Amino acid sequence: MNRLSAHLIGAAVAATLAGPALAQSLTVSVAADVRSINPGVNRDDNTDDFVLQMVEGLVGYDEGGTPGPLLSEKIDVSSDGKTYTFALRKGVKFHNGAPLTSADVVWSWNRYMDPKTDWRCLTEFDGRNGLKVEAVEAPDANTVTMKLNAPNALFLDALARTDCAMAGVIHKDSVKADGSFDKPIGTGPFKMGEWKRNEYFTMSAFEGYASPKTDGKIDGYLGSKRPLVKDVKFLIVRDPATVKAGLLSGAIDMGGILNSDVDELRKAANLTVQVGTNAVRHGLLIQTRDPLLKNVKLRQAIAAAIDYDELVSAASADLAKPNNSPLYPGSSYFGDVEKQGFKYDPAQAKKLLQESGYKGETITILANKRPTAVSFPQAVVAQSMLQAIGIKVEIEVLEWATQLDRYNKGNYQMQAFSFSSRFDPALGFEQFSGNKDKQPRKIWEEPQALALIDKAMVVADKAERQKLFDELHKRYIAEVPMIFTFNGVEPYAMSKRVKGFEAWQSKQRMWEVTLAN
Amino acid sequence: MKLPAFNALIGGGLIGGLVIAAGMGALWTPYDPLKLSFREKLAAPSAAHWLGTDEFGRDVLSRLMAGAATSVWISLLTVALAVIFGTLIGLFSGYVRGWVDRVIMAFNDALLAFPGILLALGLLAVVGANKYGIIVALGIAYTPSVARIVRGTVLSLREKEFIAASRVMGNSEAFTMARHILPNCIAPLTVLATSMFGYVLLAESSLSFLGLGVPPPAPTWGNMLAGARPYLGQAMWLGIFPGLCISLTLLGINLLGDAVRDRLDPRMRGLR
Amino acid sequence: MLRFALTRIVMAIPTLLIVAVSVFVLIRLIPGDPASLMLGDLATPASIADLRARLGLDQSLFTQFGIWFGNLLKGDLGISINSQEPILPLILSRFWVSAQIVLVAVFFASLVAVPAGVIAAWRQDSILDLGLVGAATLLLSIPTFWLGLLLLLFFGLKLEWLPVVGYVSIGDDPWRGIIYLIMPILTLFLHEIGVILRMARASTLEVLRLDYITHARAKGLSEGAVLWRHAFKNAFGPTWTLIGLVLGNLLGGIAVVETVFTIPGLGRLLVDSIFARDYPVIQGCMLFVAFCYVLVNLVIDLCYPIFDPRVTAQ
Repeated sequence: MNRLSAHLIGAAVAATLAGPALAQSLTVSVAADVRSINPGVNRDDNTDDFVLQMVEGLVGYDEGGTPGPLLSEKIDVSSDGKTYTFALRKGVKFHNGAPLTSADVVWSWNRYMDPKTDWRCLTEFDGRNGLKVEAVEAPDANTVTMKLNAPNALFLDALARTDCAMAGVIHKDSVKADGSFDKPIGTGPFKMGEWKRNEYFTMSAFEGYASPKTDGKIDGYLGSKRPLVKDVKFLIVRDPATVKAGLLSGAIDMGGILNSDVDELRKAANLTVQVGTNAVRHGLLIQTRDPLLKNVKLRQAIAAAIDYDELVSAASADLAKPNNSPLYPGSSYFGDVEKQGFKYDPAQAKKLLQESGYKGETITILANKRPTAVSFPQAVVAQSMLQAIGIKVEIEVLEWATQLDRYNKGNYQMQAFSFSSRFDPALGFEQFSGNKDKQPRKIWEEPQALALIDKAMVVADKAERQKLFDELHKRYIAEVPMIFTFNGVEPYAMSKRVKGFEAWQSKQRMWEVTLAN
Repeated sequence: MKLPAFNALIGGGLIGGLVIAAGMGALWTPYDPLKLSFREKLAAPSAAHWLGTDEFGRDVLSRLMAGAATSVWISLLTVALAVIFGTLIGLFSGYVRGWVDRVIMAFNDALLAFPGILLALGLLAVVGANKYGIIVALGIAYTPSVARIVRGTVLSLREKEFIAASRVMGNSEAFTMARHILPNCIAPLTVLATSMFGYVLLAESSLSFLGLGVPPPAPTWGNMLAGARPYLGQAMWLGIFPGLCISLTLLGINLLGDAVRDRLDPRMRGLR
Repeated sequence: MLRFALTRIVMAIPTLLIVAVSVFVLIRLIPGDPASLMLGDLATPASIADLRARLGLDQSLFTQFGIWFGNLLKGDLGISINSQEPILPLILSRFWVSAQIVLVAVFFASLVAVPAGVIAAWRQDSILDLGLVGAATLLLSIPTFWLGLLLLLFFGLKLEWLPVVGYVSIGDDPWRGIIYLIMPILTLFLHEIGVILRMARASTLEVLRLDYITHARAKGLSEGAVLWRHAFKNAFGPTWTLIGLVLGNLLGGIAVVETVFTIPGLGRLLVDSIFARDYPVIQGCMLFVAFCYVLVNLVIDLCYPIFDPRVTAQ
């Protein structure tokens, strides 16, 4: 043994004695830059992912999407369902060393509720969408109370929403003297590092982090959240082919890959591949006010003409399984009723088509070709299957912003589209249901269904909600307002040196992840 | 070692082959180019599928044949549009000069400075995202280059003796333009038009790569090439064959273009 | 000469005005809305309306243009909707990155392609000519996103000579900065060889047919002297114009190369802004590109008389 390795072993022993050794920097590829570092203000999914590694809220989602205490320890609800009392978890510190107190929570909340902050979720809590938080108080240094205008089954869910940045609690010093945002000083496992726009953004381990648990078990935004790598560098790489080359060469330690690359990268000696799932719901939207498609029989014919096994395997490169339900399979409400989807039956489809009085009119499906979207392959496969029973179909490929505009205006016949994650089934139904006169983007506007959804928003009892969702699912299958096909899959490839990563809901959570030397 | 007409022969052969393939592709292909077959996706070239299959199990040879007709048609129309309008604008502007020329060139330069992608996006939104949308969009995008080159040629010829002579002989401006100036534009235009033909074949694939898919009712070489990129590691043939088709077509057009120019260029008459 | 330059600069103002107005109108005609793109499919109509109001998008097109144009005259291009950054510094820093790649690639491509084109023309219809034209056509017909990927796989992954991803600014670390720029430059260089070679060959063919070349040959000058003294010098004029066109177009068209090689350049900025409907950035970029284009062509035209004595600057 030479002297150098003796030194190294000595250093390693010393490090082990000092506590868990933090390995060097981990390089993770992301497809886009973050929009800002201001929690819940100028954001997209990618931004939330980065910010929520640094900032935490009173409550967060667990692995199954149910809200649970994060910065709080205990949550009590008054008997009238209008007052929530949060007891803060002890020993929590901000990145600047200051301890977390109820005053910080109240300050943060008031900042979010100030229209000048431009918090994305202001309308969710100021009464404009029904729910109103009337008062937030700090009876003592460790307790926060929130009073609502009316009982609401979804209050905690709204607080935990990632697109609202969990109403993340930040320290006063996150804001400059002139009131403008500087950088997030939160309580999360990682501290803000450097942000070089359009090149990379970094974060580093917060050594004073107080993890909710320390058993090493990851549980959504709760559970064990220890930072075990020293630095994480998120490198912006837009071209999936470049990501692949970077992973193979070792320049990138970890990154999301295309579904079609999974087989190839599984064969690479230096990489492991992990396929996670998320609550994104892919499907084919149908304009139920279209002169042609308002015909239920025609919609039923379309639903019966599609071989979901083949469509899903082609669109996801054999990674996903079909799911016709608006509920995602990870939900605790996803039961036997929800498993009953549309039946693929070409003979029945032809019969329905004949009954519908269809006379060879062309139906146009809109699609986009973003590399990570499954829109285009879904449209191609659906086109071929619908043509097989005699429906004339054309595909119009649009750029994404144009497609979104057509969606918002309701200006289409059909489109291959994806809805972003919504954990609660009531919100999941609400996402595509509503009156088109008020919101042209809504798809399902059957009044009885809308009444059921409204009810599910208020009811808190689980069994009763389950009945409502079962009923809604059956109606949706019978009426075919649109066709959900499958849920999101998100393959990641990573160096064999990376351990402890668990793909979850499109989030690249870096806590509990280690990098071997 | 001169090989007279040898290049023209190769060019003619390549273009002849293309026309036959495109004609045949419009009438008959070994398989239906749109037919999906999931069990056979990404199959390597074999006796059943000479050039393999793509990610949806569609036969590549059939798609190339069907695509030949579409690609050639799109490119031809686009180039024709750009050359006709560009020549008219360039001739007019270069000949009248003065403030009219300045105004026209201000617009021309403004259009030239527009990146193709923005123009394509805007025009596709207006015209509709279909085959004719792309023809109009790219046609308009290439018109100012033609106008500029033609105007340049006109400017450099204006002061030549034979133009002055034509005027002295009492010929009208229009006659002088048609008889003496236009033929002299043919040579640079042939070069530009043949390059443009290639650009159009490729422009579609670049737009597709940047996320601006140009929707094909039928396959085109350009979007086959762009669509093949993610499968480079698993199915090389997906990109090679459309790429080869584009290369050979371009080569053929260039060689033939040279030959055509030699025949049409007034200064060449009787020289060889 | 000076008067010519001044006239041209004054002449450029209407061109820039046309660009400013048409970009402003065109991007607002294109479907899509920055507010709903920013908020995504979870947004409520109320929050979209809020954001539109804050961005000033609820005002009339005329008012919006007035505000933007007024600020423009003060030299203020506004701030980005997406990133809230001031636009002018953003564009300048991105432009510098793209310009390095484009200028170097086109310079070297011209050094190789112009002589090669002249030689091909001089030996027209020979095997050499066919070979050069064939090579140029091949280079021209490989899209840059394929060519770039092939180079990346070969030099980056197979030989491991060059880094696969990342970017280091030359200002921060000159040596490493250059290393990261090699592949993007090479990609563009190979592609542009195809473009320029064909143009140089065509221009030379033109010139070789002119009377004075026949004269020169008749005078008994050697072929080499004819080629150099008369043909090459005269053929350079039109080629020079083309190089101007190439430079102008490339600034808009370099987005593909920047995407493949993760380069934070102007092309990518423009494409991203178009996709995000970041109106002020698109307007700023377009105006800037148009400005560069006008400038490049002015320089080209000013240099033209140097190469082609028949044209006098006026």
